[in-house]
Amino acid sequence: MTSKTDRREFLRSGLLTAATMVGATTGLLAPRSTMAQKTPDVVVSHGTDPAKMTRSAVEALGGMKQFVKPGQKVVIKPNMSFASGPERGANTHPAVVREVAAMCAEAGASRISVVDYVLNDPSACMSLSKIPEFCQDVPNTMVNHVKARRLFQEVPVKNGKELKSLEVLKEVLESDVLIAVPVGKSHSSAGISLSMKGMMGLIHNRVSFHSRYDLHTAIVDMASVLKPNLVVIDGTRILSSGGPSGPGKVIPLNLVIASTDMVAADAQMVALGTWYDRKFTPSQVRHIRGAAERGLGRMDLDNLLIVDVKS
Amino acid sequence: MRFQRVAQGISFGIFAALLVLAAYPFAEGVQVDFFLRMDPVLGVATLIAAKVFLFFLIPALVVLSITVVAGRLFCGFVCPMGTTIDLMDSCLRPNRKATARESSYEATSRFRGWKYLLLISILVAAVAGTSLVHLGSPLSLVTRFFGLVVHPILLLVADQGIHWSAPLATVYPDLQYIQFPRKVFATNAFVALIFVAIGLLVYVHPRFWCRNLCPAGALMGFLARKPLFRRTVSESCTCCGQCSRACPMGAISENPLHTVFSECIMCERCREVCPVGAVGFWTAPSLEGANIEPDPTRRGLLFSAASGLLAAGLFRTSIHQPSVGSADTVLVAGDLIRPPGALPEPEFLSRCVRCGECMKACATNTLQPIWLKAGLEGIFSPVLVTRLAGCAITCNVCGKVCPTGAIRDLPLIEKQHAKVGTAWINRSNCLVWEQDRKCLVCDEVCLYNAVSFKPVPGLKNAAPFVEENRCTGCGWCESKCPVQGESAIKVNILGEVRLATGSYVEKAKEYGFVFKSRDNSGDKLAPETFDPLRKSGAQPPSLGPEDEAGVVLPPGFLPNKQ
Repeated sequence: MTSKTDRREFLRSGLLTAATMVGATTGLLAPRSTMAQKTPDVVVSHGTDPAKMTRSAVEALGGMKQFVKPGQKVVIKPNMSFASGPERGANTHPAVVREVAAMCAEAGASRISVVDYVLNDPSACMSLSKIPEFCQDVPNTMVNHVKARRLFQEVPVKNGKELKSLEVLKEVLESDVLIAVPVGKSHSSAGISLSMKGMMGLIHNRVSFHSRYDLHTAIVDMASVLKPNLVVIDGTRILSSGGPSGPGKVIPLNLVIASTDMVAADAQMVALGTWYDRKFTPSQVRHIRGAAERGLGRMDLDNLLIVDVKS
Repeated sequence: MRFQRVAQGISFGIFAALLVLAAYPFAEGVQVDFFLRMDPVLGVATLIAAKVFLFFLIPALVVLSITVVAGRLFCGFVCPMGTTIDLMDSCLRPNRKATARESSYEATSRFRGWKYLLLISILVAAVAGTSLVHLGSPLSLVTRFFGLVVHPILLLVADQGIHWSAPLATVYPDLQYIQFPRKVFATNAFVALIFVAIGLLVYVHPRFWCRNLCPAGALMGFLARKPLFRRTVSESCTCCGQCSRACPMGAISENPLHTVFSECIMCERCREVCPVGAVGFWTAPSLEGANIEPDPTRRGLLFSAASGLLAAGLFRTSIHQPSVGSADTVLVAGDLIRPPGALPEPEFLSRCVRCGECMKACATNTLQPIWLKAGLEGIFSPVLVTRLAGCAITCNVCGKVCPTGAIRDLPLIEKQHAKVGTAWINRSNCLVWEQDRKCLVCDEVCLYNAVSFKPVPGLKNAAPFVEENRCTGCGWCESKCPVQGESAIKVNILGEVRLATGSYVEKAKEYGFVFKSRDNSGDKLAPETFDPLRKSGAQPPSLGPEDEAGVVLPPGFLPNKQ
């Protein structure tokens, strides 16, 4: 799955760059309206109902059928590592996760696996996050936590600056589609934890990220291997400080962000949120800047097609 | 299926279920230690050694009263040790062939007195204030074996089974996600060795342990010399000897009319095999057994009493152990960190029966049996191995499962104030102090904000300091210290508080401790709240770069310069 997207990403970003250059030289790019019929780079969906916001955000990208074909296996990666409820903001809102799973089921996915590495007591994480409870009636959907090493498999990291290999959850390697559904939150070491940092929930050798490697570079290395096909960021409320576990300042933003570009989605969330009582630009977050510089996605929000929708 | 086997099966099932339930989160109201409390020698010897009446050992006294009425019923129907030995017997010696004469009481009486001697040693040592219960209590032995040896192996086997079932993943993809925790124990080989030795004695006689060694059996046998309900043989007996051959306890005399009641476990095997139906179990005052009870010699009695006293004397004069209430100078290992709520050391050791329930139940596996760290007397007693894991802030299960109150059953808030020691920084091992590298892990994992980082002259990075009055000794810092080998921060028993009675909260106030979880919702936290990424309060000044206004940025951010 990972190498497949590499090529697609490459072609896509290559075409985008070419188009941008052509557009820029011919003066076509200046007004946004000329690209209105194109698929947006980032969708920001505003509203109060988490499920409706999630659905309209994905529909603005062309709907889940763009990403999930009938019979495909999907892995959804929310945040559910902490034994706390949705109000604390350490885990993704269960209604957002449920809606993503439901859309995958409607698109005909044969298996939808909602999975995260848990840091607290597994049963407490599962029950308090309410994610299994919300997803129980979605067809073909199972919610699981992971910890046992046998569930992971080592894969090489080509061009990794810090990492030479990663132990990735086997199910991710065997699946067709990966969807990141993080909650917007602060992080005591990484600054911000969104879709890219959240991919650490799908790998096993996590401790060495903190002790052996430069964390920010390691996150970028990981993102070069684990690239979600779709990112849906839960901004219904963000954990603005005290992350990743909380307790901290929880700010309602009443929005959901969707994009196929993990860097752009994360960058948009950074720009829209308030973190540690102040505003940051995406390029101030070390791992977002690193990912953009390595060409894994774009953080130049000014040059992206960002569409706001209401639900 | 014979009734005895059914009863044994049910009883063992309950025993196993209660052992499984001795875990976090604790099922309130379930008396997981009930089987231990039924053990007569555990009960009586602990009452004597602790010099206090422990009402929760009443089940043991009930078992003893039943013994007076109905003999050693407990051994034959309830005791999980007896069931395990029976099982080993039928596995190892399925076709035991012995003549009636070889199976008779007289022919097998050679070692019978040993259990009385062991019992007397234990009781005399208990009078002298030393508990030897763990050497002989069958329930202590069997609980320790199943909790510390069998249970971890079963978890391993179950996890391996899931691993091997990987080909089924196409049919049941979620099977692979069943994950069993891993449990590890120190000294587990010794625990296993002792138990296996007991089990292998079935090669000598069936239920060799129960006949010859079990001090609980001795105590019950003493009271079962003439029980109200007992084996009776009618005149129709043909002296064929079938009963002698079938008796698992060798409790039938060469003359099958005679029964040694102190050895009879009321299994009624003899009644079932009797071809003429001469055997009954009732109160009828029929043909009595002659006086062939085991009668230890005076020499033997004196010898066992003396050995009990000698053991107590040895322990009392060992370098490690003070006697109860004394102010003797003793050597205590710095890492002998007892579980929170453990009684003061002498009282603790006089009550702890080494059953291993606390270690089986421990949420984080930090509670471990020791070998000789606290001297011979402390063998198999529990300590926190804080390099392995810390003590979970929201767990107080060890006190809840302890059958004798050696670890007090404390409410959560009390347990959180039971200081077990203090963390100390070993500067020569510390990445910051020794190598001036940036490391904050001990501060980040400390749930009580007891580690603070301060600027130190000569170092670029802020260095860690422990505030003793905030540290409970829970040990998360030690377990998460990234220094390989010996940790740079270690919990030492310094400052431990061990109260036999009274409130730890009050004591903490008196001593000026400030045990404040930095997370106000602490009570809701799961026990494994040890994410090394957790953020602590104020960050040290050397952390991040400064922005254009000179304000230090949080970790992970860069100044806004393009």
